[in-house]
Amino acid sequence: MIMDDLQKMRSPRTLEVWKLGTVNYLKSLKLEDKLVSDRKANRIPDTLLSLQHPPTYTLGKRRTDHNLLIPEAELKGLGAELHYTQRGGDITFHGPHHAILYPIISLRSIGIGARNYVETLERSMIEFASVYRVKARAGHKGETGVWVGDRKIGAIGVRISSGITSHGLAFNIDPDLKYFEHIVPCGIADKEVTSLRRETDTMLLHSEEMMMLCGRKILHSFWTTRRRSIKTNSPSGLTRFNPV
Amino acid sequence: MALRMWASSTANALKLSSSASKSHLLPAFSISRCFSSVLEGLKYATSHEWVKHDGSVATIGITDHAQDHLGEVVFVELPEEKSAVSKEKNFGAVESVKATSEILSPISGEVIEVNTKLTDSPGLINSSPYEDGWMIKVKPSNPAELETLMGPKEYTKFCEEEDAAH
Repeated sequence: MIMDDLQKMRSPRTLEVWKLGTVNYLKSLKLEDKLVSDRKANRIPDTLLSLQHPPTYTLGKRRTDHNLLIPEAELKGLGAELHYTQRGGDITFHGPHHAILYPIISLRSIGIGARNYVETLERSMIEFASVYRVKARAGHKGETGVWVGDRKIGAIGVRISSGITSHGLAFNIDPDLKYFEHIVPCGIADKEVTSLRRETDTMLLHSEEMMMLCGRKILHSFWTTRRRSIKTNSPSGLTRFNPV
Repeated sequence: MALRMWASSTANALKLSSSASKSHLLPAFSISRCFSSVLEGLKYATSHEWVKHDGSVATIGITDHAQDHLGEVVFVELPEEKSAVSKEKNFGAVESVKATSEILSPISGEVIEVNTKLTDSPGLINSSPYEDGWMIKVKPSNPAELETLMGPKEYTKFCEEEDAAH
């Protein structure tokens, strides 16, 4: 029994990373649903989707559309879409230069619950921000997310279905912050939204590289003490690299 | 009333005294690793829901271990009365720390009552997971399903193994 347990703890865990570029929100939802179902049936390993969305506003399960400050028709005029989802969290905006990471992982197989998972996502974004010498912190109670002072730089909204996660985190690298003026972001009034561009003088890499770095920080946070192998799907084919 | 009777029958089973005015339940034993309580007289699912079977009614909620791992619950979605629930299928959801987590039914049956207090006080799930935080009452359609669930000792061990894998 003990040997079996040790074996389980030492066996390498695989994470497959999919770099998807810009993806329409509904298409990414469909993909996530499929991957959640595949992960639940153990047809695929833990998977991380790395992508951006075209300008899109989304609401969570509580459907807090009182936090949308303009009519939906006007949103369309801005070239943005609005979607209602099953994730936790309030209203938010995603757009170009807004790094999105959707981990589709089995929390049960690593024995953690929602709270630990969300804290890990927060820590990953904080570590990522620190690479650019930006001192970020986790939110106070009731303000889940990542903040620089009183300005929000990273948001989290997760869905857990039979122990498999979907949706995930969004980190503001250099989005057009004007889009946030039309909502009460995450339902928290009187707090600003910020971006890495605003908070640092350090030159930022190309979005793709930034997102991969963010993804690596997540892997590092999750699996620091274990051997891991990570495969990346990119247009040029499969690449294998070790987590930092 | 039912809870008080349950409390005293639990107390009797544990050979402890109880007074009629007390309605709090006594934990059978604790999981010292994560300080969660597990109660005698309940059945448990691997997805961390509990069932209390009392004649033709089964009360369902989530365990102390589950609420601790979720964090503070801010929203609860429950089914309507008279709707059907199926074993290991989702019947509702809770939101905590920006995560919505589905709740799976340990048994199949018809929903006969829903805890409406959870709409205004979702935190009852955290403060009182086995009492005031109950979620639905069901008329079981297949009582044999209860036999497939874990007892308190099995569930405690299951939690320990799950936490150890972290």
